[in-house]
Amino acid sequence: MKTFVATLLLLCSACVSAAGNGVKVPPFERVQLGNGAVVLLMERHDVPLIAFSAVLRGGAVSDPTGESGVASLLAGVLQKGAGTRDAVQFAETVASVGGQIDTAASTESISLSGSFLARDQQLMVELLADMLQRPRLDQAQFDTLRARQIEFIRAAKESDLAALTPIYGEAQLLAGHPYGRPVDGSEASLAAIKHDDLQQYYQQHVGADRLIIAVAGDFKTSQLKQRISRAFSGWRKAGTQLAPVPKVERVASRRVLLVDAPDSVQSYFWAGNVAVAKNDPRRPALEVTNTLFGGRFTSMLNTELRIRTGLSYGASSHFDRLLQTGHWALASFTQTETTIQALDLALATLDKLHESGLDPTMVDSGKSYVQGQFPLALETAAQWAAQLATLEFYGLDRRYVDDYSAQLGAVTPADAKKVIDEVFPPSTALSIVVVGNASAIREGLRKYGPITEMKLADPTFEPNK
Amino acid sequence: MCCIYAAPSATAQVPGADQVQAVTLANGMQIIIWPDRDIPNIALFNWVHVGSRNEVPGITGLAHFFEHMMFNGTTTRPQGEFDRVLEANGARNNAFTSNDVTVYQDWLPRAALAAVFEVEADRLRNLAFDPKVIESERGVVHSERRLRVEDSFVGRLQEQVQATAFLAHPYQIPTIGWPSDIASWRIEDLKTFFATNYAPNNCTLILVGDIEPKSAIALAKQYFESIPAHSPPDPIRTQEPKQEGERRVNISAEAQTPLVQFAYHGLSGADPRQPALELMTRILTDGDASRLHRVLVEEQKLAISADSYVDRGFDPGLAWFLLTLPAGGDAKKAETAFDLEIERLRDSGVTAQELARARSQALADFWRGLATIDGKAEALGQYAVLQGGYERLFDMPRAYESVTVEDIRKLATDLLRSTNRTVGVLTAATTATAQGEGR
Repeated sequence: MKTFVATLLLLCSACVSAAGNGVKVPPFERVQLGNGAVVLLMERHDVPLIAFSAVLRGGAVSDPTGESGVASLLAGVLQKGAGTRDAVQFAETVASVGGQIDTAASTESISLSGSFLARDQQLMVELLADMLQRPRLDQAQFDTLRARQIEFIRAAKESDLAALTPIYGEAQLLAGHPYGRPVDGSEASLAAIKHDDLQQYYQQHVGADRLIIAVAGDFKTSQLKQRISRAFSGWRKAGTQLAPVPKVERVASRRVLLVDAPDSVQSYFWAGNVAVAKNDPRRPALEVTNTLFGGRFTSMLNTELRIRTGLSYGASSHFDRLLQTGHWALASFTQTETTIQALDLALATLDKLHESGLDPTMVDSGKSYVQGQFPLALETAAQWAAQLATLEFYGLDRRYVDDYSAQLGAVTPADAKKVIDEVFPPSTALSIVVVGNASAIREGLRKYGPITEMKLADPTFEPNK
Repeated sequence: MCCIYAAPSATAQVPGADQVQAVTLANGMQIIIWPDRDIPNIALFNWVHVGSRNEVPGITGLAHFFEHMMFNGTTTRPQGEFDRVLEANGARNNAFTSNDVTVYQDWLPRAALAAVFEVEADRLRNLAFDPKVIESERGVVHSERRLRVEDSFVGRLQEQVQATAFLAHPYQIPTIGWPSDIASWRIEDLKTFFATNYAPNNCTLILVGDIEPKSAIALAKQYFESIPAHSPPDPIRTQEPKQEGERRVNISAEAQTPLVQFAYHGLSGADPRQPALELMTRILTDGDASRLHRVLVEEQKLAISADSYVDRGFDPGLAWFLLTLPAGGDAKKAETAFDLEIERLRDSGVTAQELARARSQALADFWRGLATIDGKAEALGQYAVLQGGYERLFDMPRAYESVTVEDIRKLATDLLRSTNRTVGVLTAATTATAQGEGR
């Protein structure tokens, strides 16, 4: 990929807006401590803030089988008391300086991120070190958080079905694989988690050798490096090695999971298949192609389902690219009565992508769009901290950012055709999920393939075996 | 221990604030430019001074409908062309509508400015009203309404509470529109609404990013200045009469998760007490250390979340407090616990430490908001249009500093009275009758 860079800049000057739009990674320093922790520091002096992004390898893939949500609960409990501060004191300390800390789990990591005013950098390092090295993991806090997480899922079932649909989608597509686990758990899996599980996870999967700390903002590198090294170099390693994630097979035919939501006036659908990993070298072509198919307002999918027919408020597609592999999916929603019409149209649009490909004008437009928009994701200290952590986590180097604009400029219609053939699933090979009023749509859905059914009220995101 | 950090001193000058330039074109269009060259992009926000506040029965939802129609073609460009031009030039766009304003947002590479000005000016001048396009877009808005209101208990309750809180003022109108109006707007309604409200003298154009003000102003003149001014829309004369007693809305639904919402009549965006109101709501709901979160969520476990939201519009709007309860939770108990906290605030005020904490949170969020060109364009427009002038944005660090404990106690006494509020409760159908709270 990198070999075309020189020619590309010339090609780009032909497209209206792309030239000169590349963003380069500003200077930063990388240090690895003796215990394996990696520290990345980037000075940014535009506003008096410092942002951090600390990432621990592991996440939901390390949850014990049947207990999805342990990593997520642990992430939550980390800021519920640590070091000398109980939960209330910890929250008060953060708030009293206008600090912000968010903790979350994802499929393959736990992340702690936040920002503080520049004058509070010492406190920031102290709180981060306390959360990671000296969390209290208090039983009562765990109980409260677990109960609340279950309630949040119940509340989402009544007010946010669009957000839940992909969770059913991934659980069905990747059934039995760690990548298919609901990161924040299900009502049933959360209920099964005990306080001991949390402590065990902490012992086994949290430690310096799993840690990346990226900091960007208004600080002096030499001073902050010293502070972080002092706070983290004595920390232990995680109790176990990270287990390898098994291979995932693409689905070869079509199947449907119907989730009965009898009171819903709309149907929410999702259709996807296994796709590519984060480091896949076809990234520029994949990104341009997905942008044109379902990644922006005038995409083929949104044009059909929203602009041309008014069937839906929105339709989109996206890639989720992880360490070993990832998936691609399209999603939309429509009123119950037009479920089949909308789903037919979505699949026909995918067929059209395969049959007709993308013409050169479209490809040029898609390239300009991705080139024009990606600087907006690399503007703030918080975004740079997250980006540095991401590069380190996935073993990518700065060329992932520096060369991206030029690589996008080099994408041809033939490259797009190639990734459509190789990566985008045909409409006949999809794992489909529909959340809606089953009695009204069940018959119509039969033509898409074998149907498995469950109820929205069921406490899991996958049907009982 | 936290006192060491609590002493807030940094009311630093906002970097680049002295480079902001404001001009008014001959046709009355106001333009405000803030150069910021961190990334090679520009945020262009066109704040049109029209929202659901400017609607009447029969045309509710029309301001929001225009937010959709403005992307649907002009007499010179077919439907979809606006987006195609922007996207091919590397730009993305969106828009939102509130009670007060409709804001059109473009995020573009700097080289695309002229191309974006051209299509922005075109849609202000030449918007098309194609009956087929209007019918299709009606369907899209219906779908949006189903997503946000019919399929969301939170949205359903909030719509009812807002409509109940105002007897006279058009803030009672839901921005998405009542379904019967969405189904029956006529093309003449659209044309009248557009001619009245989409005049350049009713717009504030904000430009933030990698931009040279002088040439940007010249370019703006070239594209926008020849669009004719219109006579401005009628001012909203209606003032909400003083509320005479608490109002209640009780919805019983097939819900597991009860909801309780409180909406107090509050302040206009330009009211000098806004910073005090912001700090007061932060003390109640911002973060795990806030009063309502700590008492209702952590200690008594009566709610799973306690949030607030404050309207900052042309006229006095609402200060909202939103509780989500656990499945089967007791709405009555949650309301009582909420009332006790409000009473405590009115009677005893807040501590100096709580005020210092809220100030630090406000100040840090102020800087977070100004870290992006998007955040700057949002803040500049909000202050320029709704909060008494863009210069007030740069005064916010000082404004937070000057709020006293006494200001907050006085505000709590003035606003947080039961006779000044509407309470909405959504409970499971089976327990709703036991609640017995009708309007």
